[in-house]
This record gives sequence, C-alpha cells and structure tokens, in this order.
Amino acid sequence: MTTFEPDQSIAARLTGLEPGAQPAPRRQKLIPGTRDDGTLTEDPGQRAPLVLGDRSFGEITDIVCGYAEAPMPKPWLALFSIFSMVAALGTGMILYLIITGVGVWGLNNQVDWAWDITNFVFWIGIGHAGTLISAILCLLKQNWRTAVNRSAEAMTIFAVTCAGIFPGIHVGRVWFAWMLFPVPNSQAIWPNFRSPLLWDVFAVSTYATVSALFWYMGMIPDLATLRDRAYLRLQKGLSRPFGIPMPVGKDIVVPFLPRPDTFRVLAYGLLALGWRFSSRHWHRYEKAYLILAGISTPLVLSVHSIVSFDFAVSILPGWHTTIFPPYFVAGAVFGGFAMVLLLLIPVRAILPNFSDLLTLRHLENMAKILLVTGTMVGFAYAMEFFIAWYGGNRFEYEAFANNRVNPMIAPYWWAYWTMIICNVVFPQMFWVRRLRQNPIVIWIVALAVTIGMWFERFVIIVTSLHRAFLPGEWHMFWPTWVDILTFVGSIGIFLTLFMLFLKFLPVFAMAEVKLVMPQAHVHDHDHDEEH
Amino acid sequence: MSQIAANHPAPVETALPDQVWERRLTKIAADPRMTEDNIHARGVLGKFGLPLLFVGIAGLLLTVIGGFSMNVRHALAAYEVGAFTALSMSLGCLFFLLVFHSLNAGWVITCRRVFEHGAALLPFCWLALVPIVVIEVVNGGVLLEWVGGHGDDYLLKKKAPYLNTGFFIVRFLIYGAVWSFLGWRFISLSRRMDETGDRTLGRKARYTAGWGILLFALTTAFAAFDFLMSLDFRFFSTMWGVYFFASSALSGVSVVVLTLAALRLRGKLTGLVTEEHFHDLGKLVFAFTVFWAYIAFSQYFLIWYSNIPEETAWFVYRKSHGWHWLFVTLCVAHFLIPFLIVGWRAVKRNPVLLGTMALFLIVMTVLDMVWVIRPMVYVQTQPVLEAGLQEPGLSGIWLDAAGALGVLGIWGWLMIRRVESGPLLPTKDPMLHESMAHKNYV
Repeated sequence: MTTFEPDQSIAARLTGLEPGAQPAPRRQKLIPGTRDDGTLTEDPGQRAPLVLGDRSFGEITDIVCGYAEAPMPKPWLALFSIFSMVAALGTGMILYLIITGVGVWGLNNQVDWAWDITNFVFWIGIGHAGTLISAILCLLKQNWRTAVNRSAEAMTIFAVTCAGIFPGIHVGRVWFAWMLFPVPNSQAIWPNFRSPLLWDVFAVSTYATVSALFWYMGMIPDLATLRDRAYLRLQKGLSRPFGIPMPVGKDIVVPFLPRPDTFRVLAYGLLALGWRFSSRHWHRYEKAYLILAGISTPLVLSVHSIVSFDFAVSILPGWHTTIFPPYFVAGAVFGGFAMVLLLLIPVRAILPNFSDLLTLRHLENMAKILLVTGTMVGFAYAMEFFIAWYGGNRFEYEAFANNRVNPMIAPYWWAYWTMIICNVVFPQMFWVRRLRQNPIVIWIVALAVTIGMWFERFVIIVTSLHRAFLPGEWHMFWPTWVDILTFVGSIGIFLTLFMLFLKFLPVFAMAEVKLVMPQAHVHDHDHDEEH
Repeated sequence: MSQIAANHPAPVETALPDQVWERRLTKIAADPRMTEDNIHARGVLGKFGLPLLFVGIAGLLLTVIGGFSMNVRHALAAYEVGAFTALSMSLGCLFFLLVFHSLNAGWVITCRRVFEHGAALLPFCWLALVPIVVIEVVNGGVLLEWVGGHGDDYLLKKKAPYLNTGFFIVRFLIYGAVWSFLGWRFISLSRRMDETGDRTLGRKARYTAGWGILLFALTTAFAAFDFLMSLDFRFFSTMWGVYFFASSALSGVSVVVLTLAALRLRGKLTGLVTEEHFHDLGKLVFAFTVFWAYIAFSQYFLIWYSNIPEETAWFVYRKSHGWHWLFVTLCVAHFLIPFLIVGWRAVKRNPVLLGTMALFLIVMTVLDMVWVIRPMVYVQTQPVLEAGLQEPGLSGIWLDAAGALGVLGIWGWLMIRRVESGPLLPTKDPMLHESMAHKNYV
C-alpha cells in the first residue's frame, strides 16, 4: 500500500486478509539458546503468557479464520484422502456385519464381548477430555484451556459418534436396536430398567446431546465471524472463485460456479443463528455457557461411571470391584488428553501460526495431566491387584495373577503388560521437565497411552471373560479380519471428521482466547509493573 | 497481501526482573488491608481456644473412665471416631495444599495459611493414633481382631503377610514420617517466604507437591485400609482409600471455611478474604459434598447390586443391627441437605452461612466415622453377630460424645493456637497480588 486509503484500510480490517492468507509468522520460534518458546517460565512470580508473538485481537481472528478459509496445505489433503478411505472401509465392514451377522467377528460362547465393547469404551473414554477441558476447567477458571477447548470438544463429539456405533451393531439383529430405547410398543416389550446396559443408553445419549450443544453453542460467535468475513469479501469483490484442490500443483478454477464465500455466507449464516455480537447476545451466551458447563461436569463423571457399572455390577472376577467408577473416569480423562495431544501436536506443525495460540506451556500442562491421571490409573491397578489378593477370594486373585499378570501361565499376559507399560511407565517420563516440554516426546507418550488405554479395556473385558469359573468354559478370543478392520475403520471415521473440522470450523474459540490476552486486562492493578 | 502484522519481536527473557518483584512487595506491604491488626489474630480466638482445650481434656478423661468402667472396645471406638475425624481434616488440608501448589493456584493465597496450619497438625493427628496402636498391640487386638494373631481362621491366615503386627507398626511409622514431613514442609516454606521474601521457595513448594501427591495417595489409602477397613478383616473394597480421601477433602476444606469465617467475624482479614474467596471455597465444599456422595454411593451400590455375601456383610450388620437410622441420616444430611443449601450462591458468598454449613459437614464427617467404626464394637465377632442382641442403645452415648469431642477439642485448641501464632496469610507469596484482587466474575 503506497497511499493511505481509509476505505481500503477499513475494508482490510473488516474482511481480514485476503482469503486464506495468514498474518506473518513469528520470526523466532524459540528463545535463542533454549528450547523455550517464551512460555516456559519457572518464575513463581508470574504467569506464562497464553498467546505468543505479541498478537493483536485482529491477528487472532485472522489466524483462526484464515485457516478455515484457506485451501488446506497439501499434507492435509493427503491425510484426508487416506482417512476417508479408511472410514469408507470401516463403513463397509459395518455393512458386511449387518448383512452377514456377528458371526464374522471372533466372538464365541465364552467371550461374547470383545473388540466391540472394547472399542465402545475406548471411544467413549476419548471423549471425556473435551468435556473436562470445556466444563471442569472452565469452572476451575483454568485460562490455558482456551487454547484447546474447541478442538477437544470437537474430538469429544467425533469420539462419541464412533463409540455409538459399536453397541448399536454388536446386538446382532441391528434392526431391533430401537429396542434399546424404552419406546412404547404394542407388544409391551420393555428393556430391563435394572440393567446398567440400559442406563448406558441414556447416559451416552445425554452426554452426546449436551456435548454437541455445548460445542455448537460455544461456536456461534465464531461462526458469525466467519459469516461476516465471507459476506464482506463478497461485497468488496475480494472473493476467490471456486477451485478443485489437486494433490499436486494449483487448484483447478471452475469459473461459472458460485464463489465459495457464497456458500459460506449461507452455511455459516444459518448456523450462526442471527448472532450480531450485541452485548445482550454476549450476556446470554455467557450465562448459557456457564449453565452448560455446570450440567456437563456431573455428566463427565456419570457417563464413565455408568460404563464402569456395565462390568462392576456383575459377579465376574476381574469385573466386580468397587473402585471401577472413579478409576474409569480417571482413565477416560487420561485417554482423552492423550488423544488431544496426539491430534494437536501435528496440527501445530501443519498449521504453524497455531503454535502462537497453543504454546509449549499448554502442551506441558496437558503432559502433566497425563502424568497425574496415568498415575491415578496406576494407583487403581495397584489397588485392584492388592485387594484381589487381600480379599482372599481365590477366583478374584487368579483372574489377576493367572489370567493377566504371570507370563508363564496367563494367555493374555502380553495385553496386560502392554497396558502397564503404556499407561503407567510411559507417562512417568513427564517427571522430567525437559521431556514434558518436548513436543515429540509428548507425542510419543500420547501414542503409547492411546494404545495402552485400548489394551486396558481389552484386558478388562476379554481376560475376565475368557476364563470363567469352570475350566470347561475356558476359551480364547482371537479377532477376525472383520474385527480388526472395523476398529481401524472407526479410527478412520474419527480422523476424517476431525480433518473436516480443521477445514471448515474455527479451531480455536476466538473470543475466549482474546479474553486471556493481556490486552483484555489493561485495567488490572498490576499491569504497570509487568514488562 | 495486506501487511497489518509486520512486526513480531522475538521473545524476550521471561523471568520476572528483581526490581519488579521488589516493587510488588513494597506495594503489597503498603496496602491498607495489610495492617498488622488485620492480618494477625493474637488472642482473638482465645475465647474459643480454652473451652475447646477444656472439652478436649474432659472428653479424654471421660473416655478413659468409660474404658475402664464400661467397655474398652466402646471407649476405643469412640476415641477412634475423634482421632480419624481429626486426621481426615488435617489430611484434607494437606491435600488442598498439594493441589494448590502443583496447580500454581493464585486465588487461594490469602486463605492458604489456614490450610497450612491444618496440615501442620498432622504430627499431632499421628500421635493421636499412637494410643490406638499401643492399646491394640498390648491387648492383642481390641477392635482390630487380627492384631492378636491368626488362630485357625482361613482368611486371617491368608491375609497374615499384610495383616500382622510387625508390618502394621512399620507402616504406621511410615505414615507418621510422610505426613509429618509434608505437613511441616509447606508451612515452613511459607513462613520462610514471609521472612525472606525469597520467591523461589514457591518453586520448592511446587516441586514437593508433585511427588507429595503420590505419597499422600498411598499413605491415605493404606492408613484407611489398616485402621478402618481391617476393623472387619473379612471386608474388602478397592474404593476404600478413595472413600476415606473423600471425607478428608470435604472435612479439610470445611474446617478452613469455619476458621476463616470465625476470623472474619472477629474483624480480621477484612478485604483480604472476601466473599469472592468464600464463594470459591464454597464451591469446593459443594464439589466435595457431591464427590463424597458419588464415592459412597458407588461403593454401596456396587456391593448391593452384586450381592456377594463377603461384601454385603459389612452393610448388613450395620443396617440390620440398629444403625439403619445412621444410614438414612448420612444419605440425607451428609449429602442431600448440604447439596441443596451449599448449591445456593447466596450461601457460598456469606461467611456466616457457609461457616455454619462447614461446621455441619464436620459433624457429618464425625457421623461418617461413627458409621464406619462404631458398629464394630458389637457386630464384629461371630457369636455376637449370631446372637444379634447387643444392639446399641442410647445409654452409652455420652462415651461416644466424649471420645469424639476429646480428640477434636484438642485438635481445635492446637489449631487456634497455631492460627494466632503468626500472620493469617502468607505475606510475601509471589502470587499474593492475584489473590488480593480475586473476583469471580469480571
């Protein structure tokens, strides 16, 4: 810009940058000679900054909306293609299962729950981090949560989606799945209200509803921002034409189609529900947010507690133990945070300006949560094992010692020790500060934890079932290719949805990020002495 | 492309400059709320202190008399109720200190000294358990049957590697060491910071809190196994440690609220511990009321639903031997009433009302301990269980009151002495300014 043109400058401010352009990245990612990006201060006298690079409010909007408006980088396209193919494969497996019957899985008379319920509990657990971040950390006023809450909530929804698949398809005759719900019917057939499996239906569907509401409601102001930016671009003639993304080279422009911004105005406009950024809107928004946070908090605890009831109300050795409810909740938060880290550390790399909003301190905090919850889970393993011995019940003890732990006797010892090493040993690395501040180490640990948490559910379900009280009933479980591909497919569904989220929705809660920036607190009594 | 964001300076060195720190300390010292009178309570609570000491000594004397004249098991159980309520309050204070330090919590700092005093009483709480251990060991098992030896009982023999006197004493000494160290560590660091203004001590506290949580969890759980769960050596529950912890956290924050409310009523800490702090402390009270109920319900429910005799026995001989009223009382008064009352915003923001609820919840913790400990006096041994006759009446209730009030009175007296002994808040904490300006909604 050579001459100053007020009109153009206002237009630039209102519309942000050219669609898809990003503000200049930070010049120096780390303080020279350190591994510190500027947030790893250990001085007890001050708080670490939550947003780096001296960003203005406008730049936050540009970074977040910019990525939603830009063509995604090539790695995104490659990954999206792979994930969606895997998702299609998973859908195919489900179809095959429905057509053929559950006999295509490796279940047998003894082990009648295996990968299906393992996957269900695994995915439901993944979801918990989102609600924990958005609800409990909100009530605890943990400001750092603003960097991850939106994406973690999205992850919650997608994980619950994946979780919902498995109980639905494991019933065998899927067309009777409606009987999970207490629908009035002419045969007067009702589900068993005394069964935790039915409570699960209520718990999970409530959880899915509230999580979706929370996520969507939180997004409304940001959707309105996207709507307004698209509208202004259309008005000012800054819109890009429609282009088909190509794996290599430039997009192919299709001249006669409406511009993408037209669709944005329509779609975001519909979703934004007439949000106009008025103070009255904000006031109601804050109230609703707090109420939903309050509702979600007991939900986080109740959902996984009820999932744990599925097992713990029984008299099966290895399932019936009173610590299950809090232990399942801790495990769910553990697995959920691992998944958040697993997804967001690559996102920081692929979409580099996000590392201003999601700093090393954020990663370190989440690593600490992994350490705490991992150790809680380890504590629960220890308690279970101790009480299995202390209780003096031979069946209970042998379910642990001889079916899980002892490599000489236990057929599933490898699953048990994978679980222990991944869930308890790996997170202990985070006692060392250098390790929990290193994104690569965190990512590896998060991967280990995700694997370990899957194995935890496998150990609980399959090793307890495969040897019941009579040796004549003993039977091993081995997965079939359909078992394996259905699970892999569910990962594909999850990741596909997450990739679409990265592309089309605001990945950070912009208003909340802005609230924790220093510019939002210019009147704090202390501001003069900082900097 | 527009060039709105051209200038992004490199990150600078992040530590707080010393002159900024000095200036902040000066500013806080000059704050009108930080007057000597406002942050010290010398003699202010003395009105409560001596009566508490009197109640404590009288209670203990009566317990001893009751032990000799009536029933040593009954007297010991009454004493244990008091001792474990005191222990749970101190452990609760310690738990919150561990959490506050590891989370670097800013809002709570003006209240934190009271938590530190509560945790610093852990050596006393441990000492209060010594008579129990001595009586059990000398008499060969009074309430803890297994201390006496293992006889022919299959379960006792099976559990002997854990439930034996030697290992019990070793564990007991470990608990004492861990609790005393952690309790002392936080108050001493905090006091040293008052004197020197060395803010790096905050890092030391954070460091201790990290591994302290692990030790806290293990010692709390196993102490609960050793003293409470093994009152009936047949019973087992993986949840037991969490159950005792839930009571600890609730009674710990309750006693802090009670102390702070008393101080505020005496005109201390004006403007430093405001309704905003009470609001947040009240949220903790509320949260742990619900947490206690969640844990207690889960434990009860899973045992009830599975209906395995070796577990249900524990509830059966409580609910069917004259203690059903206590079961109902705990459901209603330990959960429902505080849930409905403390959930109310106005209550949380009012020191008098919240303090009253805190006192109420401490009483409920006492009743919870009664529920755990007291029935064992009569229903423990098999012949008595079969006879089913010696159900508790009101005749011995004075002994229960004496035992509980004996320990709690002395605990309260020591707590008041500690609170009066120095500043009521850490005066040079690095994040004190945040706590002094704490607001829930801005």
